[in-house]
Amino acid sequence: MAEHKIKPSIPRNSLIWLLIAQVLVILPLLWHVPLWIIGLWLVCAAWRIQVFRMRMQFPKAIVKVAMMVSAAFAVYLSRGSLVGLDAGVALLLTAFVLKLVELRSKRDALVLIYLGFFTVVTSYLFDDSILAAGYSLLSVTALLAALVGLQQTVLTGRPGKTVTQAAAILLQAIPVALLLFLFFPRLDPLWVLPAPKDKGVTGISDHMSPGDIAELSQSSELVFRASFTGEIPTQNQLYWRALTLPYFDGRTWHMQNMTSDLLAPEWQAQGDMLEYSVIMQPSSRTWLYSLAVSQTEQKDIRLMNDFRLQHNTPIHRTYLYQARAWPEALAEPKLSPEKYRFYLQLPHKVNPQARAWAQQLRQSYPDDESLVRAVLRTFNQGEYFYTLKPPRLGKHSVDEFLFATQTGFCEHYSSSMTFVLRAAGIPARVVTGYQGGEVNRAENYVQVRQYDAHSWVEYWRLGFGWHRVDPTFQVAPERIEQGLQEALRGESLNTGLLSPLSYRHINWINQLRISWDTLNYTWQKNVLGYQAERQKNWLKGLLGEISWQRIGVGLVITIALLFALISLWLFKPWQTRLSETQRLLKQFERLLAKRQYKREPAEGLRAFQARIQADLSPPQRMALDAFVHSYEQNEYANVPVPAVQLKQQLQTLRHSLAGR
Amino acid sequence: MSAWRHWLAAWWSRRLPAQTRVKLGQKHIFIVPTMAGYAFAAALLLMLMVAINYQNSLAYALTFLLASVGLLSILHTWRNLAGLQLIGLPAEACFVGENARFPIRLQATRRTYQAIGLGWLRQKMLVTDVAKHSEQQVELSLAVKRRGKHSAERIRVETRFPLGIWVAWSQVDLAQSVLVYPKPIEAPLELAGVAAGEDAVEGLATAGRGVDDYQGLEAWQQGDSLRRVNWKAWSKGQGLWIKQFAELKGAQTQLNFSALGGDVEYRLSVLCAQVLKLTQQETPFSLQLLEQTIGPGTGAAHQAECLTALALFAGAEHG
Amino acid sequence: MLRQLENCLHAVNQVLLGKEHQVRMAMACLLARGHLLIEDLPGMGKTTLSHALAQVLGLSYQRVQFTSDLLPGDILGTSVFERNTGQFVFHPGPIFTQLLLADEINRATPKSQSALLEAMEERQVTIEGSTRPLPEPFFVIATQNPICQSGTFALPESQLDRFLMRLSLGYPNAEAERALLTRAITKRQAASLTQQIEKDELLKAQTQVSEVKVSDALVSYILRLVEATRTNAQFVYGLSPRGGLALLSAAKAWAFLAGRDYVIPEDVQSVLPQVVAHRLAHSAAGTGATDSTAVQWLLNEVAVF
Repeated sequence: MAEHKIKPSIPRNSLIWLLIAQVLVILPLLWHVPLWIIGLWLVCAAWRIQVFRMRMQFPKAIVKVAMMVSAAFAVYLSRGSLVGLDAGVALLLTAFVLKLVELRSKRDALVLIYLGFFTVVTSYLFDDSILAAGYSLLSVTALLAALVGLQQTVLTGRPGKTVTQAAAILLQAIPVALLLFLFFPRLDPLWVLPAPKDKGVTGISDHMSPGDIAELSQSSELVFRASFTGEIPTQNQLYWRALTLPYFDGRTWHMQNMTSDLLAPEWQAQGDMLEYSVIMQPSSRTWLYSLAVSQTEQKDIRLMNDFRLQHNTPIHRTYLYQARAWPEALAEPKLSPEKYRFYLQLPHKVNPQARAWAQQLRQSYPDDESLVRAVLRTFNQGEYFYTLKPPRLGKHSVDEFLFATQTGFCEHYSSSMTFVLRAAGIPARVVTGYQGGEVNRAENYVQVRQYDAHSWVEYWRLGFGWHRVDPTFQVAPERIEQGLQEALRGESLNTGLLSPLSYRHINWINQLRISWDTLNYTWQKNVLGYQAERQKNWLKGLLGEISWQRIGVGLVITIALLFALISLWLFKPWQTRLSETQRLLKQFERLLAKRQYKREPAEGLRAFQARIQADLSPPQRMALDAFVHSYEQNEYANVPVPAVQLKQQLQTLRHSLAGR
Repeated sequence: MSAWRHWLAAWWSRRLPAQTRVKLGQKHIFIVPTMAGYAFAAALLLMLMVAINYQNSLAYALTFLLASVGLLSILHTWRNLAGLQLIGLPAEACFVGENARFPIRLQATRRTYQAIGLGWLRQKMLVTDVAKHSEQQVELSLAVKRRGKHSAERIRVETRFPLGIWVAWSQVDLAQSVLVYPKPIEAPLELAGVAAGEDAVEGLATAGRGVDDYQGLEAWQQGDSLRRVNWKAWSKGQGLWIKQFAELKGAQTQLNFSALGGDVEYRLSVLCAQVLKLTQQETPFSLQLLEQTIGPGTGAAHQAECLTALALFAGAEHG
Repeated sequence: MLRQLENCLHAVNQVLLGKEHQVRMAMACLLARGHLLIEDLPGMGKTTLSHALAQVLGLSYQRVQFTSDLLPGDILGTSVFERNTGQFVFHPGPIFTQLLLADEINRATPKSQSALLEAMEERQVTIEGSTRPLPEPFFVIATQNPICQSGTFALPESQLDRFLMRLSLGYPNAEAERALLTRAITKRQAASLTQQIEKDELLKAQTQVSEVKVSDALVSYILRLVEATRTNAQFVYGLSPRGGLALLSAAKAWAFLAGRDYVIPEDVQSVLPQVVAHRLAHSAAGTGATDSTAVQWLLNEVAVF
């Protein structure tokens, strides 16, 4: 017989769910893929629907090839490459969309559904918030519904019922999935994969010009959350350093890489120790946020020469790390001549007034420390203002700020102070990072947002090392002690009408916001942060010493037990059990069968009684008759006889038979 | 291959002997992954790779959730077959060249069964649903090429519901058989014992009461028609008598196997066509198959008897 | 009331010797408001049974001999033009009686047969547009010759279904036959039997029969029986829903006669051969199975629980 296979077509139910699932899967990715994919998708969906309504044909092979090639080319054009995660996802999505028009057989649908699952996974690389996770459950349910629908007979089934079934299976699968999630060993990456390119990620950058941080403070985006094992230090202790910017070009402070950066800095721990952990949002940067001077045991993090922590790859996902800090540590008491010169670098021919002022100060205060104090005093006592919207500065920015405008944001103060210190011959540098943060008492963590961005100054003294000073504190101490909101009461922070931060003064909204933050924190800490390190710690706490073999065996056994439970619930074996009377009848039959009186299955009880009673003694007959009568009354005469009575009569019969 | 199949068939008949009613239970159902199932596993592996390489907890979670769904669907698929009752109903007799149809009733008690596939081994499946506490009847057809009594083969019953990544299956023998009559072949035929014309009436037997031939008088009974009362006798005071008539049996048509030429199957086919034709014409006939004689008679029962004899005819080998 | 019925049975047994079971079955049939088909050779006491039953129950009795020229009008009655009044007057046929013996029903043409069977089913007669109810109770005993002769019109299955039971009296046992020969019981003796029960009582008994209790367990047993006939290859087609109902009502009557107000599986088993045998067609495969073996199979194979 010739192999003439008719490919089974796709049930309507499945097609409906497939289209819904596709919408759900693609939606969250739309912000990460070229816009023309939407157009392509609409065309494909319309085409497929027309095919279903028999208004159009499936595309011919050549058309399909042309579409694929041109789509790949379009991806190349809009992404500049065909490799890399962005291009990869764009390609995946085009394939996912294009597959729609050649969706004929069940196999095509299957491919589409599996592609859909895979696309959901890639969407997690871009967004792994609690909302995204919850949303993806919808997509997964729809995909499963499409899979279920694929198995249904073509004409039957309502879409609602199909999705209920899919959801039920998904729900039942949760316990086992949870077990696997907790116990499946987290492996190290097997190979390096391209990371998603984040567009327009705000945050501290590797340079700072006047106005940069002010701009950053317009954003209420979350940067990181930090929790402490002990008390949370006071606000004015929370200087989260990200970068030091040692190079000044007259207007902008730059980060500059030196070979010495890679050398471990020289420092001595002293004073109290703080233990904290940070869950940071993806930043696409390598630097982490830490309190000076921090140390961590995580292999992929190193302490750089300027006392910042750096991860060996850019952070593209929510990342958790633990560290210990010694705020009073002695940091780099000795400076190499090369570095000493480096931290005195200043561009020529700019800010002559500032230089002159520096010389003047130097003469009045030969001691470095008193010079620094004098500068701070100037800020404190002079007519300096703290504002988010300082006037624009020209070429001699430091001069203009110090002697003309006298209004600025933290970067103005830190920048000019560093300039003055250097001009006076004191090694100094600008440090950028975040300051303070909102404390969540319920979960004991600090939440730092972009508007907490800050910059301050570090200067160096021989034998004492680097020392932190914050000129902003002199101008607006409330900024440091209570946060930006308090410091800028008059100026409205541009957080937007919809942002819950705009409604801080309304108590319940604030409460709601804090609860939501708490939830997010828990999510990040316990779900997203559940990686090798945390898993090991958790398992250690749970089981003591970890042996993956034992965990494996335990896991298999537990899953088997769970399955047994679920199957009990699915099969409900107790429903098939006999009624009490029928069980008693079975006992009765067994009892008599022992005496060689076997009742035939088709023999009525009366007939059976009549057949055997000739052999029995009168008391036995009576006992037999009593049981048969009661059974008959119960079963056929609709006269309920208590099971106890039947049991008793059976017992009597048993005794009378034994007594023979 | 053949030996292997034989062994397998024997194994099945030990495991699940032929019986009209089968309730699929634990020891009858097998469950294995389908191709789609392997593909599902491959997709999961790919997702796990992503999870590992990007150290993405959500990717891990989804992978595990789907893996768990996949494992769980073993239970669902198995459940979608367990407890289903199959009842083989008697198959209607058919003619060679037609499709024998084997009706099978599927009965569900406590659960609804979805997308149950039924079919002969290695052939296309018929897919149907059976709602809770209801039954569904399907017919499997099988082309028959030889006359006689044919037993149905084992039937494969399977389901891939709900996810299609597992297939639960069993093979049942519902002890069904079908009687296959010879293929009717219309052929001009000299019928033996054709009615011999009016002059042969004398020799024919009367057949009970009828209206054809006057038989004599009988005493009147209540319920006898008044129109047949012999009024002449009554008027003479001889009491009520009714005239009794008898029906004349027509000349017997006889179909004789030996009177035909050609090979055995051809002769049976010709006889088969005649049996059908004569029954349709309501002509009484008798069938002579070597030693076996059927009839004379007419009607559906007689036809069935004749066709059965033709179907099961085995005398030719030694006749 | 049960005693009166027992008296009736006893009285009939006096004239129809050695047929206690069949007589009881006929009585059950009557109590269940069903009609009876007796299939037997001539001379087995069909007439005696029906006549005796009519006597002891105090029912009016008619006998119709079915012949091939019997017309529906001969059974149901006709309108005759009366010259003196100048009007058509309806002359009721023999069917207007309480107990009708339709002798050799298979001799009549299908047309006449169906006239009777329709009247049996509907318990009324419609002639020339006017409907006339039949008396209460109305009970038909039809007889037919088991040997299929030509010139007879076997009742089609659909019509056989109208009879609640099919009974075969069979040859009497040796003892009864001896008594029969020595005591020379004649039909006249049957005529001399006295009425043992009032008509009202009889109607009441019929009502009580219909009120006999039937439990779920018993209904399931009947369902299993019915299903077995539909699924087993021995039967070409199974019992109709009407067949199942018939089985239930016959079993009720049998339980009632046994003095019970509920049905037990044994009641069903007792009436099963009489109720279902004529409703079941056998596999045409010619396995040699007769009615009784198939029924026996049902009795042996269908579990009671």
